[in-house]
Amino acid sequence: MNRPVLSVKDLAITYHSASGPVPAVRGVTFDLAAGDSLGLAGESGCGKSTLANALLRLLPDGTITSGQVMIDGRDLFALSPGGLRAVRWTTGAIVFQGALHALNPVQTAGKQVREPMLIHQTVGSEDEARVRSRQLFERVGLPANQLDAYPHQLSGGQRQRVLIAMALACDPRLLIADEPTTALDLMVQAQVLALIAELRRESSLSLIFITHDLSVLTYVADRLAIMYAGKIVESGPSLSVFENATHPYTRALAAAFPTIGDQTSRLAPSGLAGDPPTPGALPAGCPFHPRCPLAEDRCQTAEPVLRKAGQAHRAACVLV
Amino acid sequence: MSSIVSLRDVHVHFGASRAVDGVSVDVKPGEVLALVGESGSGKTTLIRAVQGLQPVTAGEIIYTSAAGATAGPGRGNRGVQMIFQDPTGALNPRQTIYEIVAEGLRIRKESQNEVERVGRALSRAGLRPPERFFPMYPHQISGGQRQRVVIAGAMVMEPDLLLADEPVASLDASIRGEILALMLELVGDTGLSILVVTHDLGLAWNIADRVAVMYLGRIVELGPTEQILGEPRHPYTRALLSVVPETTRMEQQILVGEIPDSRRVPVACRFHPRCPLLQSGMLPAEVASRCTTEDPGPVDRNAGSAAACWAVT
Ligand SMILES: Nc1ncnc2c1ncn2[C@@H]1O[C@H](COP(=O)(O)OP(=O)(O)OP(=O)(O)O)[C@@H](O)[C@H]1O
Ligand SMILES: Nc1ncnc2c1ncn2[C@@H]1O[C@H](COP(=O)(O)OP(=O)(O)OP(=O)(O)O)[C@@H](O)[C@H]1O
Ligand code: SF4
Ligand code: SF4
Ligand SMILES: [Mg+2]
Ligand SMILES: [Mg+2]
Repeated sequence: MNRPVLSVKDLAITYHSASGPVPAVRGVTFDLAAGDSLGLAGESGCGKSTLANALLRLLPDGTITSGQVMIDGRDLFALSPGGLRAVRWTTGAIVFQGALHALNPVQTAGKQVREPMLIHQTVGSEDEARVRSRQLFERVGLPANQLDAYPHQLSGGQRQRVLIAMALACDPRLLIADEPTTALDLMVQAQVLALIAELRRESSLSLIFITHDLSVLTYVADRLAIMYAGKIVESGPSLSVFENATHPYTRALAAAFPTIGDQTSRLAPSGLAGDPPTPGALPAGCPFHPRCPLAEDRCQTAEPVLRKAGQAHRAACVLV
Repeated sequence: MSSIVSLRDVHVHFGASRAVDGVSVDVKPGEVLALVGESGSGKTTLIRAVQGLQPVTAGEIIYTSAAGATAGPGRGNRGVQMIFQDPTGALNPRQTIYEIVAEGLRIRKESQNEVERVGRALSRAGLRPPERFFPMYPHQISGGQRQRVVIAGAMVMEPDLLLADEPVASLDASIRGEILALMLELVGDTGLSILVVTHDLGLAWNIADRVAVMYLGRIVELGPTEQILGEPRHPYTRALLSVVPETTRMEQQILVGEIPDSRRVPVACRFHPRCPLLQSGMLPAEVASRCTTEDPGPVDRNAGSAAACWAVT
């Protein structure tokens, strides 16, 4: 295995809110090797974006973090403000969830792509930034004339490409993409996924791809991590997790996306009753037990830890 | 053939924009018909027209349902009810669940047995016992329950046609299945028909009897779900299906660009500028020349299955 570009150990994140502490991420551990891709999935509120933002220390003031994040060999939480600035964009860059609607409306797409290069001085001059932004547009499949377009003149798919170009501006080793295709329709989603796959083939870019749509991940990610209530409850090679899901929650999530042509799901939609728990008020024991079809008495007492469930495949359930 | 509603060459234009451009299809009693297609293909405009919220520019929408036959289209048609994508936006935060569900009855001044009817609609939507939900407000229930309240608000009118625009797109994956199962259950229990609009072909596989594929204001392929999703014939349907992440068995045909602008519908076959089959050069010359000179026309609403394509025989 290559040296990990990212090594996360026991990461826990607790937000501060008016109604008390919100333990959004409760102990997450994983490594990401250079050039590898990890897909993160799970229901709304399970902590995906919190985890993603924490990887570049982009959390609101007052948030309590514990554990360790090594990014490209450096201890993230020990970095000085200057060191942190050097890590953001050049080591790791993020495409934020919902950013499609957050591009600056009064700046051209080209200017927004040039800005990080100039701020981080990865280019020597404005001219060099122009050359590089043109190359980036070509790389993400946008015609050069759209450098001068304003966000409202671009379609959703084109705006997503601009955001990806922006994230790639300083040539990061790690790209974190938080729900980059959720607002796009099927064909445009396929275009963006193909673009990301191509970027990864061309360079040794590592990728963290977040979505609630498990089926998308089997396409872009080598490995999957399924989160529930702030923890990874199952992880392993993508196909292994999608097709041989071990954790009852992963199984329910996978079944929610039927395979077209599979007779067992024809006229038989499959769901999961109940709602995800609130971070401040988790049920005792396995946090999934109130919704779990296989729950037993012992599930209500101790929270299960990740255990081996196959080749490089782990799950946190007493039945494993 | 009996139908709940029959669309005959329906056009809805907004100035130069031909959002719906000649749609003919029947919704049959007790069926779930899924209308699928890319963003901007005219799906929402079409069901708004069926609901009567959107005047048609040309063509006819004929309601033959028992409740709708006399009332005609428009808000007055209690036999046709609609549910929307975002349940949170659809519910008034200051009304109780009871008031929300009763609203349709009150607007129509059908106050007899109101409590009983509201209770029945809530139970039918899976919110049991209904009395527990009567005094609650939308913020006190979950996203999935909110969509159930929206469904109860439609079901209280005892419609025979339910229009649903992306009914689960804003819901979590795990809740999605529950709501879809509820829709199927309603069809089974009450004989309701559902016209559901979606991007999600998996949803169609889960609940639809028939699928209509829309491209740029027209239905380009129509037929039983198993056939449309199993052996699609129109090159657009094939491309669409090939990019569903779940269909690993097909070779991906990623179309270039986005759906063209409905203000500039291409001449002849409206799909020809993006058609992979035409671009492959494999079509016989006489077919290929028709693609760019002659409109294959809308699909036949009475055919068991149909594709608007010169290459499909
Ligand atoms: N700034 C904040 N202050 C307090 N609580 C927060 C804050 N941001 C997020 N949370 C809470 O933390 C939990 C995790 O949120 P997060 O955004 O990480 O979830 P997510 O998995 O990304 O969900 P989604 O799929 O909806 O994007 C949620 O319960 C959320 O309400
Ligand atoms: N009120 C309006 N005025 C002008 N054009 C409109 C109006 N409503 C819709 N359109 C245009 O009609 C076309 C069809 O839009 P519609 O919303 O019906 O598509 P859709 O298939 O529902 O798309 P989506 O999947 O994104 O919801 C689009 O080109 C749209 O811009
Ligand atoms: S530990 Fe128990 S409740 Fe939790 S997922 Fe496993 S079986 Fe279900
Ligand atoms: S008519 Fe021709 S251009 Fe149109 S879909 Fe068929 S093959 Fe393609
Ligand atoms: Mg998120
Ligand atoms: Mg729509």
